[in-house]
Amino acid sequence: MDRKDGIGGRELTTKDLVEMYRLMLQSRCFTEQVLVWYEEGRLPQGLHPSVGQEAVGVGACYGLGPDDWVIPSLRTAEAFWTRGVTMLEQLNAMLGNAASVSRGKETSHHAGYPERGILAGTGIVGGSIPVAVGGALALKMRGSEGVMVSFFGDGASNRGDFHEALNLAAVLEAPVVFVCENNLYAQTVPAAVGMAIEDIADRAMGYGMPGRVVDGQDVVAVYAATQGAVGRARRGEGPTLLECKTYRFLPHYPIFEEKRPAEEIERWRERDPIEMLGRRLEEEGLLDEQGKLEMEEAIEAELQEAIGEAEGMPMPDPQEVFENVYREPVEAMGL
Amino acid sequence: MRTLRYNQALCEALRQEMDRDERVFVLGEDIARHGGVYRVTEGLLERFGPERVIDTPISESGIVGLAVGAALLGMRPVVEIQFMDLITIAMDQIVNSAAKARFVHDGALHAPLVVRTMNLGKGTVYSSQELEAWFTHVPGLKVVMPSDPYDAKGLLISAIRDPDPVIFIEHKALYRIEGEVEEEAYTVPLGQAKLPREGDDVTVVAWSSMVGVAEAAADSLADEGIGVEVIDPRTLVPFDRERVVASVCKTGRLVIVHQAVRRGGFGAEVAAAVTESEAFGYLMAPIRRVANPGVPVPKSGALHPPALPGEADVIGAVRDVMAYG
Ligand SMILES: Cc1ncc(C[n+]2csc(CCOP(=O)(O)OP(=O)(O)O)c2C)c(N)n1
Ligand SMILES: [Mg+2]
Repeated sequence: MDRKDGIGGRELTTKDLVEMYRLMLQSRCFTEQVLVWYEEGRLPQGLHPSVGQEAVGVGACYGLGPDDWVIPSLRTAEAFWTRGVTMLEQLNAMLGNAASVSRGKETSHHAGYPERGILAGTGIVGGSIPVAVGGALALKMRGSEGVMVSFFGDGASNRGDFHEALNLAAVLEAPVVFVCENNLYAQTVPAAVGMAIEDIADRAMGYGMPGRVVDGQDVVAVYAATQGAVGRARRGEGPTLLECKTYRFLPHYPIFEEKRPAEEIERWRERDPIEMLGRRLEEEGLLDEQGKLEMEEAIEAELQEAIGEAEGMPMPDPQEVFENVYREPVEAMGL
Repeated sequence: MRTLRYNQALCEALRQEMDRDERVFVLGEDIARHGGVYRVTEGLLERFGPERVIDTPISESGIVGLAVGAALLGMRPVVEIQFMDLITIAMDQIVNSAAKARFVHDGALHAPLVVRTMNLGKGTVYSSQELEAWFTHVPGLKVVMPSDPYDAKGLLISAIRDPDPVIFIEHKALYRIEGEVEEEAYTVPLGQAKLPREGDDVTVVAWSSMVGVAEAAADSLADEGIGVEVIDPRTLVPFDRERVVASVCKTGRLVIVHQAVRRGGFGAEVAAAVTESEAFGYLMAPIRRVANPGVPVPKSGALHPPALPGEADVIGAVRDVMAYG
C-alpha cells in the first residue's frame, strides 16, 4: 500500500499492534529496572534512557526483514528488542561478562549483533551515519534487497558527518533510511540553541531527497513512514530522511541533573507512546487492563530471571583483551 | 593556602583571564547553561553572558575551525572538546588550520587559541584513548598536561596568554583532586618540569594522571630502600629535556610511564632524547616504558588490568631496572 505521501507497509493486524505494544513495554520495564540496579551498584553502568521515545525504534524496525540492517543510536534500545535481541543478552553486555556478544569488549548500547542485522554504533555521536550509507551501498552492490536504517539524534544532525552522509547517499542512490530521533535536546543543549531551524526534515531538501516530519509518539505513524521510505529504497529510488518528533522523559544519563522546564516534561508525558497505543488497543477491544498487567508480569519475570542468569556468568579472562585487535595476535605486530 | 579541586582551579583560571582580557571567550558543548559536564565552566555564563560563553551544537570540527579564525582576527578563544576521543573529528582544523597559521603568514598573523580536552582514563572503547602523542608530532602545536590543581590553574593561564595554539589536556581522574591554589592569577611557565619526588637510584618520568601513580610507587619503593626521582614534565611541547637528562645522569636508570599506547607513544620520544644525550654513557640498564600494551580500552572491568598500567606495573619496572646487570 505504498502511497505518494511516503506512507507504506502492509496493513497491521491485531497481533502486530499487540506485539508493538509489548516491545515498547519491555523497553520501558528494562530501562527503569536497569536504572535502579545501576543506582544500587548492581550494574557497573547505566544507560541512556529511551523512556518516552519507545515508539521510534519499535515503529521503524517492526516491518524490517532479515536482509535489512540497522545501526542504533546511543538511545535506540528498541532497535535491539525489535530485531530479536533478548534482555538477557543486553544484560550480559552491560555486565561485560564472558557470555556477552563481544565478550566484554563493548557495552550494550554500542553492541553489534550481525546475525540479527545490527551493526555496532560508536560512542562518537553522528559517526555511524556515513557508515550506514556505506553499508547500504554494499547491499546495493551485492544485489541484496536489503535496506539500511540509520538512527541518530537531533544533536548528531549538526555534525559534518550527517551532512556529508546525506549528500553521499543521495548522489549514490544508496538504499538507506535516515531516522532522526529529535528529542529536542543534545545532552543539555536545546535543539533550538544548536540549530536555527524548526524541522530537521527540511535539511533533506538541500541534498535532494524527501524529508518528512513524523509523530514520534505514534508507533503506527513511525511504522508507516519508515515502511514508505524502505519501499522507496528497495525499489532503487534512493534515501529518505525521517524526523521523528519525540522527547526523553528522563535526563540524558543518570549522572545529569534535570534542568529542563517541568511544564515541558509534563506536556510531553501526556503523549506517552505506550499509553497512546494502550488506549487505542483498549478502545478497540484488543487488549484490556488485565491483559496489559499479565504482559507486564511476564516481562518482569523474564527480566528477573535474566539478571540472575547474567550475574551467574563468568567474567572473561583478562588476557582476552589481546584478542581481535587484529586477526593475528598483538605480539605479531613486532612492537 | 586555600585549597581547590582541579576542575575548580581550571574554572578560576578561565574566569580570571576573562576578567583580565576581554578578547578571551569560551565555546563548546554543554559549557554555558550546564556549566560543563565536569563543571569547569560553571558560573561563566552568568558572569560574562552568552556572547563570551557559547553553547555550541555538536560540531567539533566546526568549532575548532571557528576558533582558529577568531584567533587569527584578534580574539583569544578557548574551545572545549568534551573528551579526547572526540578530538579525532577536529584533527584537520588542529593539524592544518591551527598549527600552520603562523608559518604560512610568516608571522604576520598567528592563532593564539587553546583547545581544552580531557583524557577519560578508565572509560570504554571510545572514551579512553589517550592521544597526546598525536599533537606532539605536529610542528606548531604546544601540548600541556597538568597533574594537579596548582599546575592546572597556572598552566591554563599560561596557555591562554601564549601566542601559539595550545592543546590543553586535562584528566577525568584528576578533577576531584584537591590541592593548594593561590587566589590571584599566576602563571606556571610552559616547558618547566617539576620533581615531586627526589631520589638517586631511578628516574621515573610520568605526566597527567600517572604522576600520582608514580609518586605512590616511589613511596612504596622508598620502604625497600630504592630512591625514585619522579619527574613531571607538565608540558610535552615544549619539553624540559635538560631536567630529565640531568636526572638520568645522576641515577643511570630511566622508567617512563604513560597511560597511552606504548607504540608511538610520547615515551618513545623521551627515551630517544635521553639516549641521544650525554646521559647515554651513564645508563646502567635499558630504559623501560610502562604503558598500554597496544589494545583498545575495553568496556568490561575484567579486561582492564592488562590495558591500564598501574602502580604495581611501575614498581615492577623499577625493580627490573634496579636488578639489571
Ligand atoms: C561527536 C560527539 N560529541 C559529543 C559527544 C558527547 N555526547 C554524548 S551524547 C551527546 C548528545 C547527543 O545528542 P543527540 O544526538 O540529540 O542524541 P540524544 O542523546 O538526544 O538521544 C553528546 C553531546 C559525543 N559522544 N560525540
Ligand atoms: Mg537529542
